[in-house]
Amino acid sequence: MVMSLEELAPGQTGVVVGFGGGHGMAAKLDAMGLRSGKTVRKLSAQILAGPVTVLVDGRQVAMGRGIARKVLVETAG
Amino acid sequence: MGNPNVGKSAVFSRLTGAHVIVSNYPGTTVSFTEGTMNVDGRPCRVIDVPGTYTLEPLSRAEEVAVEMLPRGDVVVNVVDATNLERNLNLTLQLLSRRVPMVVALNMWDEAQEHGIKINVAALEEALGVPVVPTCAISGEGMRELTQRLPAARPGTLHCEDGERWQAIGRIVERVQEVEHRHPTLGQHLSHATVHPIIGPAFALVVLAASFEVVRFIGEGVIGYAAQPLFQRLWLPLMQKLSVALGAGAAGGALGLLHDVLIGHLMDGGISFGASFGILTTGLYIPLAAVLPYVFAFYLVLGILEDTGYLPRLGVLVDNVMHRLGLHGLSVVPMLLGLGCTVPGILALRLLETRKERFIAATLTAICIPCVAQIAVIAGLLGQYGAAGFVPVFGTLFLLWVGLGTLMKRLVKGTTPEILLDIPPYRMPYWPALGRKLWMRMVEFLREGELYVMVGVLIVNLLYSLGVIAVAAKLSAPVMTRLLGLPAEAVGALIIGLLRKDLAVGMLAPLGLGLRQLVVASVVLAAYFPCIAAFLMLLRELGPRDMLKATAIMLVVSFLSGGLLNVLMMGLGL
Repeated sequence: MVMSLEELAPGQTGVVVGFGGGHGMAAKLDAMGLRSGKTVRKLSAQILAGPVTVLVDGRQVAMGRGIARKVLVETAG
Repeated sequence: MGNPNVGKSAVFSRLTGAHVIVSNYPGTTVSFTEGTMNVDGRPCRVIDVPGTYTLEPLSRAEEVAVEMLPRGDVVVNVVDATNLERNLNLTLQLLSRRVPMVVALNMWDEAQEHGIKINVAALEEALGVPVVPTCAISGEGMRELTQRLPAARPGTLHCEDGERWQAIGRIVERVQEVEHRHPTLGQHLSHATVHPIIGPAFALVVLAASFEVVRFIGEGVIGYAAQPLFQRLWLPLMQKLSVALGAGAAGGALGLLHDVLIGHLMDGGISFGASFGILTTGLYIPLAAVLPYVFAFYLVLGILEDTGYLPRLGVLVDNVMHRLGLHGLSVVPMLLGLGCTVPGILALRLLETRKERFIAATLTAICIPCVAQIAVIAGLLGQYGAAGFVPVFGTLFLLWVGLGTLMKRLVKGTTPEILLDIPPYRMPYWPALGRKLWMRMVEFLREGELYVMVGVLIVNLLYSLGVIAVAAKLSAPVMTRLLGLPAEAVGALIIGLLRKDLAVGMLAPLGLGLRQLVVASVVLAAYFPCIAAFLMLLRELGPRDMLKATAIMLVVSFLSGGLLNVLMMGLGL
C-alpha cells in the first residue's frame, strides 16, 4: 500500500517510492538520505501538527508535516 | 569540507591549534574561520567552512562552503564514519571536481561502538585518495592525517550525477560491514526524547533543571568565592587607597583620581555596587556579579550542546515556534542569546529566510536578556524571590509570544518547514567542553571588561558634568508618569546603550521598591541592545530592517513598562 509519511503509523516501516513536491525539497531530502528505495521507520509525530521524525540508515531525521505529507512510501500489506 | 555536524571544526581546531567552538548540532559553524598550520615545514592557511550535503548549495550556509571551495589547494573531506553512505555523496562530488583531497574518516571511535567496521585500505583504493581514520575530539589519528596531507591527490573515481548513488552503494557494500548490536541507552533515549508525550515532559524537566543548576552554581560561586574575595581582600585595599587619595574630601587632581578610581563614598564607606569607581564597581560587577553566572550558564549550555539535545528541543518546539513565524531550530540562537546577544545574533545565519531572521533578531534583542543583565537583575531582585523574577521574566516571555505572533502576520515572507538531521546522543568530551567554557569566559572578560570600565568612567563623567541632571529633568514626564520611576533612572537608560549589566547596576543606589525595579528591569532589557549587539544587528539585518527593529524595540519596551507599572500599582505592589 502506498501512503504518505504523515499517514504512516508510528513504529511502522515503509520504502520510499516518490516525492510529490518541488524539485528543491526533493534535493534536500535526497541529501539527507531519504531517497527512493530507502527503508524508513516512522518514530513519532509531534502534537499540534508538529514535525514527523523518522529513522533512516540508523539516523533520525525530522521534517515538517507539510513535507511528510508529500513523501510517499510503500508498506508491506 | 563535509556534511554538517561531522567534526570539521574539531579537525580544524586540532590542525591549527586555533580555538573554535565545537558543538553537537548541525549549524554550529555559520561563517568560515581561518587558521594556520605547518605542512612539511611550510606554513599553510586552513579554512573551516559550514557543513554542506552537496556541492549544489541548498541553504545560505552551504553557499558559503561552496564559495570557499575554489580557494583551497587541498581539501580535507571530513566524513562521518557512522554514516558512510550519506557522507560519500559529497565525497564523490568533490572527486568529480578533481580537487586534490584527503579523507578524514572521523568519529571512528563511535563507529566502532556501533559495530561498524570499515576497510580503510579498500576505501582508499576505491576512491583513489588517502583515507585516515580519526577521532578529532580526542586527537586520535590527527598526526597521521597531518603526515598524509602532502599526499593529497585528485582521486581516480569519477561518475555522472545519475550514477552516483549506485557507485556509492557499490563502495559501501565492499568496504563496510555492520555488526548488529543491541540498541544502546543513547538510542533508546533518542527515540524517547522525540516522543510526542515523553518528549515535551522531558524537555520541561531538562529546562527546569538547567535553570536551577545555573542559579545554584551562580549563587554558590558568588556567595562562597566572589563576594568573600571582594569583601576580605579587595575592600581593605580599596579603603587604604581611598584614604591615600584624600577619602573624597580632597580637591583638585587627587580628588579627581579618587572619584575615577574609587568613586563616590556612600555613608562614608565604599559600596561595590554603588560607588562607581573603575577599581570598585568597575571590577565588582563583571567579576563578582556576572562572571559566576557566565560560568554557570555556559557550563549548562555546553552540556546541552555537546550531548546533542538541542536539535531535539528544536523539533519539540517547532510547532509552537511556527506560530511565532520561527523555525524550531531558532531555539538555538535564542539560547545562545541568553548568554550574550552577539553570538545569538550571529547564529541566526542558520535560518533561511529574511522573515525568520528579522523576527528572530528582533525577538532576541527585545525579549532575551543576556546573562550579564540576568545576573545583575538576580542581584537586585533576589531579595524579593519569585515576586521579583516572575514579573520580569514572565513579561519578557509574554512579549516574546505576543510580539512573535504579531510579527508573523505582519512581516512579509515565509517561514520554511523544518528538515533536520538529528545527531545521536553523545557523552560530552569533558576536555573539549572545558576548553569551550574557558574560551567563552575569557571572551566575556576581554570583550566586556573594557566596555565596563569605560562605562563606569562615562557614568562618573555624566554625573559630574550635570548631564544626568539635565536628562532627568527632560525625561521626567515619561519616567515618572508613564513608568513610575524617579527621573534619575534615565541615567541607567543612557548607560544601557553601552553595557546592560552596568545599567541595571545603576539602579542600586536609587533605593527603588519592587514595582519600580521590575519595571526598570523590563524596560532596560527590551528598549535597545548594548552597543556590541547593536553593531552586530546592524550588520546582520541591514540599515532598513534595523531601523524597523529599533522602532519596534522602543515602542514595545516603553509601552510594556508603562502597562506593567499600571498593572502592578493596581495590584497594590
